[in-house]
This record gives sequence, C-alpha cells and structure tokens, in this order.
Amino acid sequence: MLPRQQSLLVRHHPFPLFQKHGALKGQRSLRRRLRICGGTGLAKALGYFAELRLAMAPRTRSVLTALTWLISPIALLALWAAVAAAGIFPRNLLIPPAQVVQAFTGLLASGELYEHLGNSLSRLGLGFAIGSLSGLAFGVLMALSRQVEVYGGPLFHTLRQVPSIALIPMFVLLFGIDETFKIIIVAKTAFFPVALAACEGVKAIPRSYFEVADVYRLRWPTLVREIALPAAAPPIITGFRISLTRAWMVLVATELLAADSGLGQMIEMGRQMLRIDVVMVGVLVTGVIGFALDFTFRRLEQHLFRWQTR
Amino acid sequence: MLSLLRKTRGLLLPLLLIGAWECLSRQDAAGAYAFVPLSTIGSALLELLGNGELLVNLLASLARTSSGLALGIVFGVLLGVLMALSSLANRLIGPLFHSIRQVPMLGWIPLIAMWFGNGEFSKVLIVSLAAFYPMVLNTYQGFSHVEQRYREVGQVLVLSPWQQFCHVLLPAAVPSIATGVLHALAFAWVTAVGSELFLSSGAGLGNLMMNAEAGSRMEVIVLCVLCIGLCGYLMNLLFTLLSRHLLRWRSIR
Repeated sequence: MLPRQQSLLVRHHPFPLFQKHGALKGQRSLRRRLRICGGTGLAKALGYFAELRLAMAPRTRSVLTALTWLISPIALLALWAAVAAAGIFPRNLLIPPAQVVQAFTGLLASGELYEHLGNSLSRLGLGFAIGSLSGLAFGVLMALSRQVEVYGGPLFHTLRQVPSIALIPMFVLLFGIDETFKIIIVAKTAFFPVALAACEGVKAIPRSYFEVADVYRLRWPTLVREIALPAAAPPIITGFRISLTRAWMVLVATELLAADSGLGQMIEMGRQMLRIDVVMVGVLVTGVIGFALDFTFRRLEQHLFRWQTR
Repeated sequence: MLSLLRKTRGLLLPLLLIGAWECLSRQDAAGAYAFVPLSTIGSALLELLGNGELLVNLLASLARTSSGLALGIVFGVLLGVLMALSSLANRLIGPLFHSIRQVPMLGWIPLIAMWFGNGEFSKVLIVSLAAFYPMVLNTYQGFSHVEQRYREVGQVLVLSPWQQFCHVLLPAAVPSIATGVLHALAFAWVTAVGSELFLSSGAGLGNLMMNAEAGSRMEVIVLCVLCIGLCGYLMNLLFTLLSRHLLRWRSIR
C-alpha cells in the first residue's frame, strides 16, 4: 500500500479499538484509545504504561501480553480474599480462599477425595464405554442400512429429544438408586451424540471416494481402513468429545440427587452439613476434571487430524 | 395398502416398545409398580389436566425458562460483543470466563443454593447462566469471524464506528447469534427442569416429578418426561422456523 493511502486509512479508520495488528498500533491510536476511557489521572497513568510498553523490545512485550491472561483470575482471587477478610457477608457463607485450600489438602490427605473421584470416574468410564460404543455401532448401522434407518430412525429421533436429567426420577423408580442406574444414565447420555455423529459422519463421505476405491479395486478391509475411517473419523471424534462432557455433567447431577459415593455426593453432603469449603472444593474439582477431559479430547482431535486442511 | 404400511414402518419399534411395557406391567405386582399400565397413565393424564396441575407446573417452568433465557441472552450478547471488539477486554475477561465455564452447569446448584437459598432467584440465576455461556461463545465467534472484505468495504466508505457496527458487523454476526440462541434455548430448558429437581420449592415440572418419585407414582413421571421432551422439541422447532424466516435475506450455501 502506498504511504499516502495508508495514512488516509489510519486517519479515517473507523475502529481504532478493534484493530489488533496494523498501522494503527502506534502511540497516536493508544492516546485515542485512552481518550475513550476518559482523560482522568488513571488514564494518564495507563497511557504512561502503554507508552512504556511500546518502548520495550517485542519479546518482552509478548511476555507481558501473555501475563495479562493472569490478571483477571488473580484479581478475582484478591477480591474474594479481601471481601472475606472484611467480613461483609456471614463467615459461614463466604469463606476465605485459604480455607478452601485447607479443605482441599485435608480431603486429599484423608484419601476421601481420591475415593469419591475414583468412584465417579469409574462410573463415567464404564457408562461412557458402553454408551459410546453402542452409539457408534448403531450410528454406523443406521448410516449404512436403509432398513435400520427406516425402522429405528423415528424411535431414535424421538428418544433423542428427552433430556437425560429429566429421566433421573424415572430411572430411579425403574432401576433403584444403585450403581446400575448411574451407569445406565451415563450410557444413555453418551449414546445419542455419538450415534448421531457416527450416522452423519458416515453419510457425509463423498460418493466419489468409493468410486475411486472401485477403480483401484480395493478390498473391503482396505476400503474401510484407508478411505471410510479417515473420512468419517473427525465428526465422530467430535461426537465422542461432546458426549463425554455431557456424560460428566449428567453423572455429577445424578450423584447430587441419588448416590452414596462420588464427587456429586461429596458436594451434596457438604451442602447438607453446611461445609461450604467442601462444596467449593467439589465444584472446583468437577470443573478441573471436565476441563481435563475436554482438553485431552481436543488435543487428540488436533493430533489425529493435523493432516486436514480446513 | 402396501404403501401405507411402508410409511408406518417407523412406528413399528415404538409400538413394540409400548407393547412390551404394557406386557411387563401385567406380569406381577413388582412389575406393575415400576411399569405402570397404559390405562393408568391415561387416567393420570386426565386427572392432571382436570385439576390443572400439569398446566400450572408447565407454565411455571416455561416462565422460569423464558425469564432466565432473556437475561442470559442480553448479558451474553453484551459480553460477547465486548470480548470480540476489544482485545483488551478479551484478554482480561476471557480467561476468567473460560475457566468458570468448565464447571458443569448443574454442579453450581449446591453452591448457589447455599448462597441464595432455593427460591425463585436461584433457579432463574442458574437458567440464565446456562443460557449465558452459549450466547457469549456464539456472539464472540460471530463478531470475530466477520469477513475481512466486509470490514474493508466499511473502511472504504469511511463509516463511523457506530455505523460500522450496525451495518457491517451486526448483520454478519446475526446468524451466529441465532445459533447461539438455539443452543441457549435447549440448555435453558434442561437446566430449568434440572434446577427444579434439585431445588424443589414452588411450582414446576421438576418439582412435580420429585413429588411423584417420593410417592412412587410412575405414571406422573412418565407424563412429565413426555411433556418435557415434547416442549423441548416444539421450542426447538419454533425457533428454527422463526430464525429461518427472519434470516431469509441471507444467501444460504
């Protein structure tokens, strides 16, 4: 771009705020940016820091940018600690962060947390394995066979509409509140997204791929391994990931409602005994596990399908 | 005749399932306890419709869902726009948002119940949170994936920031926001029922189900489950039709 044109664009650029990289990342735009925030002392201070930041080497700047990701969690923690220390709210409702850490180490030391976590995860593993594998089989069948689709499709799509959470009371009456009930409900939750993804994934394989396979006279095993599997796998893996996070959510909900062990039961017990520290530890651990499951599957997706050009 | 049979093939499995249910209910007393006969379900439907219990609870659940949904959509869109348009806000709020999002929605219920009690406020809060997450994500995606060409047209026409927002960014982001509302609708409905299961106070389908579970009245639970599934399906369908109608100006691939 010619310099003159560029400067025109800079002067009249409609969105100085929204440009991440480009000609606008100069001091002028920073001042303009700050004028939007208001020209008080705070803004002046911010402007000083902004100019300081610009004067730094790019390397240091990128490190600082990375550090800004930490600001808000740390600010929230500090606010929480300050409010808890000030005692604005009753002490049994808003506990200081240190007490949560203490409860966490306590639960860890007594082995209670491991036990609950182990119970929850084994339920999740078993239920998810049953549900997702049968969902995979059913989905592939439904995609390949017209008969299965015609006979099973309507029932499948009707049952898919019923949320798992709403089924908890019904399954309690049908199967009791034992282990069977939880595994069935996790399996039910995992079944539908995987079956749907498998059906759509297999159906979406372009017909031309099979024609190419025909031309090369590929045999069945080779056809499946070399063509069908790579083409259908990405949506199926995404289906697995979605169903895993949903299954985790439903499992925790189930344990909250009816269980004698597990993470959800620990939270519910803490609630009944007004141990808010235990409840918070439970909520945090639930979040970390959910994140870890999702993250692992995402990395797996990226790793398996890095050859894909999107 | 044959073509009629062909069309109704899909009904075969559901009918078989219902038949098996009825059959199990007639086996013995234990079977009749869990698998209630169809006639009982029918009379329960008449009873619940007659005394208005089903309608009152359904309306209460729907009202909760819609108020939570409205709150979630408004705040979700606001935060999504803020995060998409300002990289500073994205860097400040993003990490917090994404880490809080990891906790399953229903996992918050005990904590919220301890802080805010188990009344109407907690339930609406939970529902609006459930609607909030997909709204933020989809709005953010919609606004940050506006095609560069459109932005450049705005630059060439020297639009003011507000004009750029109204005429370039917003129309490009609306389809994505509509997808967000569709997700938020489903989440809000499920969470409303879920929160009623946990915080059983006041009217609501979840509460009706919990009471039926305590009285082991399977027929009421079956009716509630059917009602929840049907309502979810209808809401989904209505919104899809509505958004298709409203977004008909958009060239569809």
